[in-house]
Amino acid sequence: MVKKKSDVYSIEIYGTKDLEKTEMGEEEKYKDLKGNKKKKKTEDLKKELELDDHKLSTSELEEKYGTSINKGLSSARAAEILARDGPNSLTPPKATPEIVKFLKQMVGGFSILLWIGAVFSWISFGIQFAQGAESPFDNLYLGVVLALVVILTGIFAYYQEAKSTNIMASFSKMIPQQALVIRDAEKKELPADQLVVGDIVEIKGGDRIPADIRLIFTQGCKVDNSSLTGESEPQSRSCDFTHDNPLETRNIAFYSTTCVEGTATGIVINTGDRTIIGRIASLASGVGNEKTPIAIEIEHFVYLVAGVAVSIGVLFFIISVSMRYKILDSIIFLIGIIVANVPEGLLATVTVSLSLTAKRMAKKNCLVKNLEAVETLGSTSIICSDKTGTLTQNRMTVAHLWFDNQIYSADTSEDQTTQPFDQSSPSWTALSKIVTLCNRAEFRPGQENLPIMKRVVVGDASETALLKFAEVILGDVMNIRARNKKVAEIPFNSTNKFQLSIHETDDPNDKRFLLVMKGAPERILERCSTIMINGKEEPLDNEKAEAFQTAYMELGGMGERVLGFCHLYLPENEFPDTYPFDTDSMNFPTSNLCFVGLLSMIDPPRSTVPDAVSKCRSAGIKVIMVTGDHPITAKAIAKSVGIISATSETVEDIAKRLNIPVEQVNRREATAAVVNGMELKDMSLQQLDDILCNHSEIVFARTSPQQKLIIVEGCQRQGAVVAVTGDGVNDSPALKKADIGIAMGIAGSDAAKNAADMVLLDDNFASIVTGVEEGRLIFDNLKKTIAYTLTKNIAELCPFLIYIIASIPMPIGTITILFIDLGTDIIPSVALAYEKAESDIMNRRPRNKRKDRLVNEQLAVYSYLQIGIMQSVGAFVTYFTVYAEQGFLPSTLLGVRVDWENNAINDFEDSYGQEWTKYQRMYLQWTGYTAFFVSITIQQVADLIIRKTRRNSIFQQGLFRNKVVWVGIFSQIGIALILTYGLGHVTALNFTPLRFQYWFVAVPFAILIWVYDEVRKLFIRRYPGSWWDKNMYY
Amino acid sequence: MVASGSHARENKHEEKVQDPDRGEDEIKAEMGSKTWADLAGEMKMFLWNPEERTCLGRTAKSWGLILLFYFIFYTCLAGMFAFCMYVMLLTLSPYTPTYRDRVSPPGVMIRPYLNGFTIAFNVSQPSTWQPYVDSMHHFLAAYDDKVQEEKNIECVSGQYFIQGGNESEEKKACQFKRSLLQNCSGIEDPSFGYSTGQPCILLKMNRKGNESDLRSVDFYPGNGTFDLMYYPYYGKMTHVNYTSPLVAMHFTDVKKNYLVHIQCSLNGKGIINNINSDRFLGRIIFTLSIGK
Repeated sequence: MVKKKSDVYSIEIYGTKDLEKTEMGEEEKYKDLKGNKKKKKTEDLKKELELDDHKLSTSELEEKYGTSINKGLSSARAAEILARDGPNSLTPPKATPEIVKFLKQMVGGFSILLWIGAVFSWISFGIQFAQGAESPFDNLYLGVVLALVVILTGIFAYYQEAKSTNIMASFSKMIPQQALVIRDAEKKELPADQLVVGDIVEIKGGDRIPADIRLIFTQGCKVDNSSLTGESEPQSRSCDFTHDNPLETRNIAFYSTTCVEGTATGIVINTGDRTIIGRIASLASGVGNEKTPIAIEIEHFVYLVAGVAVSIGVLFFIISVSMRYKILDSIIFLIGIIVANVPEGLLATVTVSLSLTAKRMAKKNCLVKNLEAVETLGSTSIICSDKTGTLTQNRMTVAHLWFDNQIYSADTSEDQTTQPFDQSSPSWTALSKIVTLCNRAEFRPGQENLPIMKRVVVGDASETALLKFAEVILGDVMNIRARNKKVAEIPFNSTNKFQLSIHETDDPNDKRFLLVMKGAPERILERCSTIMINGKEEPLDNEKAEAFQTAYMELGGMGERVLGFCHLYLPENEFPDTYPFDTDSMNFPTSNLCFVGLLSMIDPPRSTVPDAVSKCRSAGIKVIMVTGDHPITAKAIAKSVGIISATSETVEDIAKRLNIPVEQVNRREATAAVVNGMELKDMSLQQLDDILCNHSEIVFARTSPQQKLIIVEGCQRQGAVVAVTGDGVNDSPALKKADIGIAMGIAGSDAAKNAADMVLLDDNFASIVTGVEEGRLIFDNLKKTIAYTLTKNIAELCPFLIYIIASIPMPIGTITILFIDLGTDIIPSVALAYEKAESDIMNRRPRNKRKDRLVNEQLAVYSYLQIGIMQSVGAFVTYFTVYAEQGFLPSTLLGVRVDWENNAINDFEDSYGQEWTKYQRMYLQWTGYTAFFVSITIQQVADLIIRKTRRNSIFQQGLFRNKVVWVGIFSQIGIALILTYGLGHVTALNFTPLRFQYWFVAVPFAILIWVYDEVRKLFIRRYPGSWWDKNMYY
Repeated sequence: MVASGSHARENKHEEKVQDPDRGEDEIKAEMGSKTWADLAGEMKMFLWNPEERTCLGRTAKSWGLILLFYFIFYTCLAGMFAFCMYVMLLTLSPYTPTYRDRVSPPGVMIRPYLNGFTIAFNVSQPSTWQPYVDSMHHFLAAYDDKVQEEKNIECVSGQYFIQGGNESEEKKACQFKRSLLQNCSGIEDPSFGYSTGQPCILLKMNRKGNESDLRSVDFYPGNGTFDLMYYPYYGKMTHVNYTSPLVAMHFTDVKKNYLVHIQCSLNGKGIINNINSDRFLGRIIFTLSIGK
C-alpha cells in the first residue's frame, strides 16, 4: 500500500520536473525581473537602515536635532526647518492633469478615424472650392459635423469620468489632525502637518502618531502597529533601545500608527514622505497601474472595428479608383465608408452603461473610483482578502466558555441580545461574577439606548469583549460592580500575566472579601489548588488538570485567545472589614485559589461572509486570505468562513492524521495551505507559484505588507485577475498592483483609498460579491450593446458599397448615418445595460481574459454578416420601392450615377419617360435617404429585442420585464418621426416627409430578424457544443 | 513517415474537440507583447498552419461547412429580396407611375445641349459651332416632317388631346413637324444660324405624366407657345412616338464677344418658376457667347 503510494508520488515528481524544465527559460526571466525589483526595494530599505536614532541617547538626540527636551524648538527654527523639509504630510499621488485627460478623450478610440474623415472632408472642400465646383460647402459642413461629433462625445466621456472621480475627491478630504508640541518652552496645539524634525511631541492613548518619533519618556504606552505590519496586537513602547532593527525596537513610534493606551513624549525624527509609512506609500506610486480588463477589451474592439473600417475603406478606394472614379470622389467615398463603419455613439454608450452600474454598485456599498473597474470585479478570478474587519467583525467577542468540564459555545453574531448556553450551573454564577468584577473596561456614559454591541467602551479589546458579554447576560454590569465595591486592584501587566482585584460582596450576610483573578490560563492554573465543578470546590488533581489542558488546547486550536478565571473568598477572620490591602506588598494570598473556568475570545467572522465566500466559490473565484495575524487564528477564521472548506486538509493536517512527518506527505493531496510569512520569505518565486497553483484554498498568515505585493504578483503570473482588499497605508502598493484594489471605507486609510480602484463603504466582504455580480452582468450587457450597435453599421455601409459598384443613386447620406448613430440608437443601446442576467451568472467561472473577449469573432460575424445583411436587404427593398413608385424602376437605376449627379442634366428620363430636373432628383434622393433611415430604425427595433438575450428565448427573458428597453423603442421611433416630419423641410438635414406606408416596407424583415434569432437561440439551447453553438453563440 | 502521419491525425482529432477559433484568439490576445518577427510568424501560422492544416484558423472541413451555411443563408435572403421586389413591382402600373408629386411642376431644357448652359462659339471658326449644329440635327431628326407624318396624327390646336379608352392601348401622338420651326428648322439654313452668329435655341419643357390642367404658355420673346394639343403625355409605354413640342428662339441680333445671360421662364397655371433651390423648374438660364 505504502509502496504503491510512493510510486504515484515519484511519477508526479517526474511530472513537475518536466514542467520545470520547459519553463526554465521563463523562470529565469522572472528571476531577473524579480532581482531588479528587489534591488529597488533594498535601495529603499537602505535608507531605513541608516536610521540610528534609536541607538542614540537623549542628549545625543538633542544635539543631533538641535533641540531641547524641555524647551523644544524655537518657533523661528521650526519655521526654518518646515521651509526646508516641507509639511508633514504624505504627498498625494500625482494626478493626471485635466487637460491631458480631456485630450485623451479627444484622440482615443474612434476619434482618430473621425478626425481623419473630417480632415479629408476639408481637403476635398478645399480642392472643390479651388476648382469652383457647384456645391463645395457640403464637404465643409460634413467635416465640421464630424469634428463636432468627436468633440461632443469627447466632452461627454470626459464629463462622465470627472463625475465619477469627484465622488472620490470628497472622500479623500482629511480631518486635520492636531498634535501637542513643545515649542519655545510652551505646550502648543498645532496641526500635525506643521511638525518638523526635532519637535518634541506628547501623545496619549487614542492619538494617532503624528510623525516618526523617537520616544524619550513613556508611561504604559502601547501602540497599534497594524497599519504598518498588519498585526493588530498592541505593542508596548518604552524609551529603551531593544533591537538593532529600527522597525523592531521599542523606542520608536511610527507615523500613522495609533497609541492605544498610556502616554509618551518623543522627538520627531522623520516627517512626511520620509517616514517609514511615507516610503511605503511612495513604493505604491512606483507600482505601475495595470490596464483594466475592460479597457483591454474595448481597445481590442476598437482595433477590430477600425481595422474593418480602414480595410474596407482602402479596398473600395482602390476599387473606385480602378473604376475610373475621380480621386476626389473616391476620397469622399472613403469618408462615407469610415463614417458608416464607426459606431460613433458606442463609446459614449459604454461609458454611460458603466456609470449606471457604478451607481447601482454605490447603492450596494461599493464605491467605484475608476469607471472601468466596474467590470474588473466581474472578471476577477482571485480575491486576496484581509482578515480583520473585512472577513471579521473587527472586535473581540467571547466565543467559547469552559466550566464544569464542558465547553459551551457563545453566540458571536453582530447583533446578539441573549446567550443561549446553559446558565443554570452555580459554576457559571461564580464565573460570571469574576468576569464582571475583574474588568477595568467601562461603557462611555450616555449610551443606554444603544444596543449593547454598538456601545463604545473604554478599555482594551479583551476586556471590552468580556464587558459586553457580561452586559448581555447579566444586565447592568456597572450596577453590579457598584454593589461589589472594589477595595484593591492589580492591573494586567506582561510580567505577571494576570489581573487581580478584591471586592466586597453584595451579600449583606457575607462579610468576606472576594478575590478575583483572570489571566493567561496556565499562569492562573499554577496559582490554583482547587477547581469548581458544579458549584463545589474540588481538589485539582492530575485528571482535572488534564481535562483543563485538553480544553485549553482545543480552544487555542480554534485560534481563540483564552483567558483563565479563578477566585478566592478571603476568610473573614484573617481579613476583616478594615484590612488594609496593599497591592505593592501583596499582603493577600495569590495562590491556592479556586479555578472556575476558561473563556475564549475571537474576532468572529461577519455573519454574511460564509455565504459570500461560498458564492465566490461557486462563481469560480478563489478566495485567498492574507493576514498579519497568527496562522492558527487565521486558519480558524478561514475554516469558519469557508475559505478552507470543512473537508479539505493542509499538509500539516494530513501529517497529523497519518502520523507521519510533514515532509513525507504528498503535497498534491492537500487542497488547503496555510503559509506563514516567515516561510514565504525564504520561498523562491517558483515555490510560490507552485503553492498558488496547486492549492485551491490558501491562507497567508503573518505576512508583511511587502509580501502582500509579492503574493499579488504571484497570482497575476498565473494569469488571474486579482482583487485585493486592504485598509492600511502599507497595503497601498498591493492595492495599486492588483487588477482591482479595494479599500475599506471605514477602517481604510487615505493612502489606501487613494491607491484603490474601489472603496467598500461598509468594509464588508459580502459587498464584494454583489460587485462581482454587477461586473459580470455589465460585461454580458456590454456584449449585447455592442452587438446591437455594430449590426446597423453594415446597413449603413452596404449602401456605399453598392453605390460605388452599381452606380445607383446614393441610398443614404453621411449626415443621415450620424443621425442613426448618435440619435435613434443611443437610448436603446443604453437600455440594454438594464437587462437582467439570463442565467445565474454567479454559477459560472470567471471569464478567461485571453479567450472570452468582449467582442469575439462570433459576435462580429453574426452582427455583420447575418443580421446586418438582413437589415441592409430590408432597407434596400424600401429604397427600391420608393424609387419605383416615383417612376424609377430598379433596372433604370443601375449605372445612372454620373448622369444622376450631373447638375447640368435637367431632363433626366425615368422608366415612364418623365423628365426630372437635378433638384427634383436630389429631393427624391433625400426621400430615399429618409426611407432607408426609417427602415434601419424599424429593423433596429427588432435588433434591440433580439439582443435582450444571447441564449434564452425572448419569452423566457420576458419581453416587458426591462421597461427601459421599451423606453428605448419609443424614443427611437419618436426621434425618427420628429426627424422625418418635424425637420423634413430643413434641407440641410437631408430628411423629407415620407409617405406613411414606407414605414412598413421593412417590417417583414424585422420579423424575419426576430424569428431567425429565436431559431438560432433554440438550436444553441438544444444542441450545446454543436457546430451551430460554436459558430453562432457570441 | 508513419509516425508523422499518425501525429497529424492525432492533431486533427484534437482540433475537433477544441474550439476552432482558439488559434486566432490566442494570436490576438498576445499581439501586444510580441516582436514583429513573432507577429509575422504567427500571422503566417494563422494564414496556413501546416500542422493542424488550418487556414485562417479553420480546417478545410470547417471552411466548407461555414461557406455552405453562408451560401444557403444568402441564397434564402436573396430569394426573399427577389420575392419582395417582385411583389412590389406587381403593384406598379406599367403605364403611369404610382406617384408623380416629385416631378411636377415641369422643368425646362434647351437644345443644343453639349455639357452646360453656356453656348459659346466663334462665327469665323466652324469647328467651334459645328458640335452645336450637329446636336440640333440629331435632336430634330425625330421631328422630320416625313417621320412625323408617318407616325403621328394631326391634332386640333388649342385644346388637350385627351385619349380615353384602355390604359394599355397605344396612344396617338400629335405631329410636331420640324418645318414649324421655320428659320430654326435647319431645313433652309442647315447651320441653324450659327454660321451667321444668329443662333437658334430650342426650348423644351420636361415631360411628366398625365397632367391636364396646363394652359397655353406664353413665351419670351415673341409668340412661342407649347400648344395644348401635345398634352397630356401618356407615358413611355403607350405613347411611343410622342415627341415633345418645342419652341425655338432665333437670336438674330446678339451682341458679339459678350456673355449674354438669358433667362426663359414658362408662364402658366401649374407652372412654378421662382423656386431658388431648383433653377430649372419652369425656367432656364443659359448664356450665349458669340465671337466673330
